[in-house]
Amino acid sequence: MSTLLISHSACLQHLTPAGHPERPDRLRAIEQALEAEKFQALGRAQAPIADIETIALCHPMEYIEEVREASPREGLVHLDADTSMSPGTFEAALRAAGGAVLAVDEVLGKKTDNAFVATRPPGHHAETARPMGFCLFDNAAIAARYAQKRHGIARAAVVDFDVHHGNGPQEIFWTDKSVMYCSTHQMPLFPGTGAVIESGEHNTVVNAPLRPGDGSEAFHAAFATRILPRLRDFRPELVIISAGFDAHTRDPLANINLTEADFVWVTQQLMDVADQCAGGRVVSLLEGGYDLRALGNSVAGHVQALMRG
Amino acid sequence: MAQKNNVDVALLPFERAIEELESIVKRLEEGKVPLEESVAIYERGEALKRRCEELLRQAEARVEKITLDAQGKPTGSEPLDVE
Repeated sequence: MSTLLISHSACLQHLTPAGHPERPDRLRAIEQALEAEKFQALGRAQAPIADIETIALCHPMEYIEEVREASPREGLVHLDADTSMSPGTFEAALRAAGGAVLAVDEVLGKKTDNAFVATRPPGHHAETARPMGFCLFDNAAIAARYAQKRHGIARAAVVDFDVHHGNGPQEIFWTDKSVMYCSTHQMPLFPGTGAVIESGEHNTVVNAPLRPGDGSEAFHAAFATRILPRLRDFRPELVIISAGFDAHTRDPLANINLTEADFVWVTQQLMDVADQCAGGRVVSLLEGGYDLRALGNSVAGHVQALMRG
Repeated sequence: MAQKNNVDVALLPFERAIEELESIVKRLEEGKVPLEESVAIYERGEALKRRCEELLRQAEARVEKITLDAQGKPTGSEPLDVE
């Protein structure tokens, strides 16, 4: 069993305002956590820059150009109340998408069993033509579309356990019956979408909102009763995880009470689905997670589960 | 976190509390709250909801006291203290 870790130091150069929770130290905390002896068996690769044409599988060229042109020579520019760009942001965003694409190539090319992509900015709030919630390009959606176009995957699933709902993939795949989008998330909370009734044109959007204060029991139940059965029925040929760790009890941006053990559990559950339907093929992409200690420990548990450790 | 700005809620009259709560619910539902502030705004909404519930409980208790008094010996409309 082999697991590939994909990252790039350029993702540290996406700078955000002082005190902003989505900060370069998040990647440093992950890097430190994955230096432990038990992760020596990880394969490691650099995230390449994604082709603009690949990003255009999910975003209009005009939007990609707008983001490029918004890129400042110095200082920060704000795209909305949450989302900003520094001089290093555009390259970081291209590498975040590129890391997702490389993970798909490596997993579907049978060079590794699964992969975890530790890059930033995250992706699941970026809509087709709108940056939002710390996100510029929707890395998970790009990975799914790329897997279909380049590797002939008929059905892909994006499973999102970040504590915020992924309005981006939901919007992008709303009318697309070849991609299932499943999410657990706190409601009410940003971005306001993610109600059970939001199910897509072909019933391939599966939202399982959690209530503030919920913990392991509700999280496990949401997967066991709502998401996992739907995933098994859908029979994805590739499972893409939008791996946000901000449902951790220590996280400052939400009120869900998960622990590292819950992230291990859900990873194992999704690997079981992938084993049954997708030849074990899993690509996991970092989304949120803003308490550095919880993030490092949770990613360690997630990656160890991917390694079947 | 985010509790520190909600001490004023305990002093709000019902009308002000419900008005602000409705505004928060609307903003959350419309996705008009920045991600970074979302949890703080949600928690203020929770504090406002608790304040409204407390004021409603007090009002219900007053109504109940008047009803009970009317069946026995009327003693006026003295408010009932409710925790």
